[in-house]
Amino acid sequence: MRIFVIGAGFTGMQLAKELVAEKNDVVLIDNDAERVRHAGDQLDCAVIEGDGNDLDTLEKAGVAGADALVTLTQDDEVNMITCALVDAVHPRVKKIARVRNYAYYRASDAARRRVKAENPEAPPLYGIDVMLNPDVEVSAAIDSAMAHGVVGDVIELDGGYGIVTLSVEEGSPLAGLSLRQLHTLEGWRFLVAFVEVEGVMSLPSGSTVINAGDRIGVVVPLEEIPAAGAFTRTKRGDLKRVVLFGADRIGSLILDRRAQNRPSAWAKLFGRADEAHGAEFAVVDRDPDKCREIVRRHPGVRAFCGDVTDESLLGEEDLFGCDLLVAASGNHELNLVTAAYMKSRGVRKTIALTANASYGEIARKLGVDVAVPMRGTVVDALMGHLRGRHVQSVHSVSNRRFEILVGNVSPASRAAGRNLRELMEQHPGEALVLLRRAAGASADELPCGSTTLAPGDRVVLIARGRDVGVAGLFFGGE
Amino acid sequence: MAFSVCRIFTYILGLVGTSMVLPLLVSFMDGDASSARAFLIPMSVGWIAALSFFLVARGRLRILDVRNAFGVAAGVWIAICLFGALPLYLSGAFPSPVDAVFESVSGFTTTGASVCADIESLPRSINLWRCETHWLGGLGVIALAVALIPLLGAGGFRLIKAETTGPDKTKLTTLIADTAKTLWVVYIALTAIEAILLWGFGLGVIDAIAHAFSTLGTGGFSTRNASVGAFGIPAVEWTCTAFMLLASVNFGLYCRFITGRWDEFCRDSELRTLVLVVLTSIAVVAAVQCGVSADFGRAVRDVAFQVASVISTTGFMTSDYTTWQPAAQMVIFLLFFVGGCSGSTAGGIKVVRWTILAKSLANEFRRILHPHEVFTLRINGETGRESFVPVAASFVFLYFALVLVTTFAGTLSGLDVFTAFSASLSMVGNVGPAFGGLGPSANYGDIAAPLKGFYCFAMLAGRLEIYTMLILIGRAFRHSR
Repeated sequence: MRIFVIGAGFTGMQLAKELVAEKNDVVLIDNDAERVRHAGDQLDCAVIEGDGNDLDTLEKAGVAGADALVTLTQDDEVNMITCALVDAVHPRVKKIARVRNYAYYRASDAARRRVKAENPEAPPLYGIDVMLNPDVEVSAAIDSAMAHGVVGDVIELDGGYGIVTLSVEEGSPLAGLSLRQLHTLEGWRFLVAFVEVEGVMSLPSGSTVINAGDRIGVVVPLEEIPAAGAFTRTKRGDLKRVVLFGADRIGSLILDRRAQNRPSAWAKLFGRADEAHGAEFAVVDRDPDKCREIVRRHPGVRAFCGDVTDESLLGEEDLFGCDLLVAASGNHELNLVTAAYMKSRGVRKTIALTANASYGEIARKLGVDVAVPMRGTVVDALMGHLRGRHVQSVHSVSNRRFEILVGNVSPASRAAGRNLRELMEQHPGEALVLLRRAAGASADELPCGSTTLAPGDRVVLIARGRDVGVAGLFFGGE
Repeated sequence: MAFSVCRIFTYILGLVGTSMVLPLLVSFMDGDASSARAFLIPMSVGWIAALSFFLVARGRLRILDVRNAFGVAAGVWIAICLFGALPLYLSGAFPSPVDAVFESVSGFTTTGASVCADIESLPRSINLWRCETHWLGGLGVIALAVALIPLLGAGGFRLIKAETTGPDKTKLTTLIADTAKTLWVVYIALTAIEAILLWGFGLGVIDAIAHAFSTLGTGGFSTRNASVGAFGIPAVEWTCTAFMLLASVNFGLYCRFITGRWDEFCRDSELRTLVLVVLTSIAVVAAVQCGVSADFGRAVRDVAFQVASVISTTGFMTSDYTTWQPAAQMVIFLLFFVGGCSGSTAGGIKVVRWTILAKSLANEFRRILHPHEVFTLRINGETGRESFVPVAASFVFLYFALVLVTTFAGTLSGLDVFTAFSASLSMVGNVGPAFGGLGPSANYGDIAAPLKGFYCFAMLAGRLEIYTMLILIGRAFRHSR
C-alpha cells in the first residue's frame, strides 16, 4: 500500500517504521527541517519537508495515487482539515486523523454513529474515515487487559458470534482430548480458535491436545457461551474491588466502560452479571477537582483525594485488599512504581500505563502483570486500520501477538476458489479461518476443511499479529 | 422606569379586578346590593387605571433589572393585598380596615388565618372572594399576569422568580410566558376536577368552587365555621386530602408528567421525600390516635386529613389536633417545619431544602469516617449539587430568624411563648392554624392590631421566600438615608 503520514513526531516515526517493515510504500511529510533530516536518516521511505495541509505539497508528493493518509501533527485542527482537503480532491484515499481533543472526538463520533445508523452509505464526517483519540485507544487497551487478565475475554463479532477465552479446569471433559476428538463429545459444536499453554499462545491443528490448565479461545454463538463454559468448567475470576490510580481522561474512560457497563456475555455466562461487571471501583488522585468530577460522572464510584504513596490513605481505606490495581495516571513512571508496590503488598493483579513499549521488560521484572504502552497502543490502533481495502476490522488478542481479522475475500487474492484444507496445508500454523459468510448469505457458518472460499465471501480469521502475508493471501493482492 | 413599573402595577390590578367578576355574579344572584357595590368599585378602579395606561403607553415594557424585579414583585404583592381588602372592607363584612387587610393578606399568601369568628354570617360572595384570593395567590398573580399579558417579555422571568416558591426556579419551556400558561392550565384543570368531585359528593356549587379554590391554593379559608368538617361527608374529606397533597407537589412535575418525561417525575428526590414524610406521619399519628379512638376508619380519615392539611400548609380541619394525644400533636407540630415541594402552592421551608441538608449531613458523617474520600450531592438524579447546600442552609437560617423575630413580636403583644412560637411558624409557613391559644378552633380576631400588621409582613415574607420582602425593605431604608 502507498501510505502518506503527515507529522514526523514520535508516533509518526513509529508508525512509518512499522509500515516500512510491512513493506508498504510510505511518504512522510513534516514542516520541521530537523525532524525531516532525522527521519530521512532513520527510515527507508520518502521524507518531504513541507506543510502537510498544503494541497500543492501533497499533490507533488503524489497523494492522488495513495491508498491512505494518516495525519499525526500536534494540531487536531490541522489533522482534520488536511483530511477534509484531501477528501475534497481525492475521495478514494482512506483518511485517518488523530484527534487528541476528546470533546471534538466524542461529538464527531456520536454524529458519525447517528449518520451511519440512518444511512450506511453516507460519506464519512468531514471526509475522515477514521478518527483516532489516543486516550480512547489506551483506555480500550487497558480495558481489554482487565478483561483478559482478570475477568475473561469475549471478542464480540457482528453476526451473533463471539470468541470467548476460557480456562480449562480440572475435571473438564475436554482435558486430554485432541481437537480432532472434540466432536465426539455430546453437545460440543464449537471451534477452538487458539490455545494458550502457560501464557504462550498458538494456533491449534487437529492434533493439538488440550490439557487442564490451558486457556482456549472458542468461537461460539453469543447466547451459547454458558454451554461452552460448562465444558471447560471455568470458574469466574473474582473481581470485587478495583482500585484505579489516576482520575484523568483515561481513568474516566475506563470507568465509562467498566463501572456502568452493561453485563458482558462473560458476566451472563455465570449469571452473576452485577458482580462480575459491577465491581466496586475506587479512584485515587491527588487533584480534588478531578476526584469531584469522577464522583459526579460515576455516582457508584468512590474517589479518594490523596497521594497514592500515602500509606495512611491506602491503609485506612484498605486499598491493599483490592483484587486489581490499574495505574493509569499521567505520570507513567509513578504508575510503574505504584503497580509494583501494590503488587508487593498483596494486590492480586496490577496493570500499569507506561510511556512506551520499552518499559514492558522493566514492568515484568518489577512484577507488574500487564504494562500498557501509551504510544505503542496508538500505533497498534493505526496499524489495525491500514490493512488494505478488504479488511473491515481487526481485533487484537494477547496484546497484538495475534489478530482476528474480519474482511471480504478479494477477487485478486490467492485464497479465492480454494478449499481450506488445501490452504492450511500450504500455510501451516499461520492462520485459521473461524467463520465464513458466503457472498449474499445473511448468516455466518463454522467452516470445515472442504469449505471453498469464493470472492466476496466474508471471513473471520485469526493470524499472527502483523503477518502481512496472511492478510495478502485472503484479502488482497498486495 | 417608573412609568414601566406603574404599567405593570395597573395591569395586574386590572387583572385582579377582573377576577372579581365571579363573586360579583354571586352577589347579583343573591340580590346583595352592598356586596355588589363593594366589588364594582375596586373593579372599576382597576380597569380604568389599566385601560388608561394601556391607551397611553405603546410597545413593550422596559426590561427590569434584577434589583428592580425584586422590588416590583414585593410591591405588586402588597398592592394586590390592599386591593383585595377593598371588597371586604367596603361590603361591611370586616368593619376594621386592619382586619380587612389581614384577611386579604392571609388570603393571597394562602395562609388561611381568619380574624372572623362567624364565617357563615358573611355574604356568600365575600366568602367566595376570600377563597378566590387563595387561588390567585397560590400559583402567583405575577405568573398569571405573565401568562396573559404578553408585554413583560424577559423581565417576566425575573418577576416570576421573585414570587415562585422554593429553590427550583427553572423554565419548562423556552418562553417564560408559555411556562406560566402551562402551569396555569394544569392548575385550572386540577381545580375544575376537584370542584366537580366536591359538587358530585353533595356540596353546593358555590361551596364546591370555594373549597376547590382553597384546596388548590393550599389556603385554608372555608365557607363554614367548622371548616371542611362541617359537611360531615367522608368522600369530601378524602377528596380534599388528596387534592391538598396534589397541590403541595411541584406543578412543573405535572407538566413533565403530561409531556411524557416520566423519568424526571419518578426520580424527583423532593417528591419521593414528600411521599415518605406523608406516609410516615400518617402511620405514626394513626398508630398513636387509634389507641384512643373507637372508630378506626374515622380516626385514619381525620389523621390523613390533618397531616395533609398541615404539610401542604392549607389549614383546613375536620378535627382539632390540639385535643389529640401529645405524641400525635408533636408529629403535627414537626410538620409545621416541613412545608410542601418547591414550585407548588404550599408554603413552609420546602421539602427539597430539608432533603439537601439531610444529604449534606450524611456526607459530613461519611467525611469524618473517610477523610480522604470525595463526595457528591445528588438531587433529582443529578450529581454535583454541592452548591445547593449553602443556599438551602442560609435560607433555613433566615427562615428561623424570621420565625424568632415574629415570635418575639407575638410575646410583646401578650401571647404566651408557645402560642406565639407556633403562630409565627404558622404565619411564616403560611399554614393558618397554630397551637395553644390560636389552635384550629380559635381565630386571630382577638390579637392586637400592631401584631396583626406584623403578621401580615410575616405572611408576605413567607409567601415570597423572605428574600424578596427583605430586599424591598433594605432598598427602602437605603433610599431613605
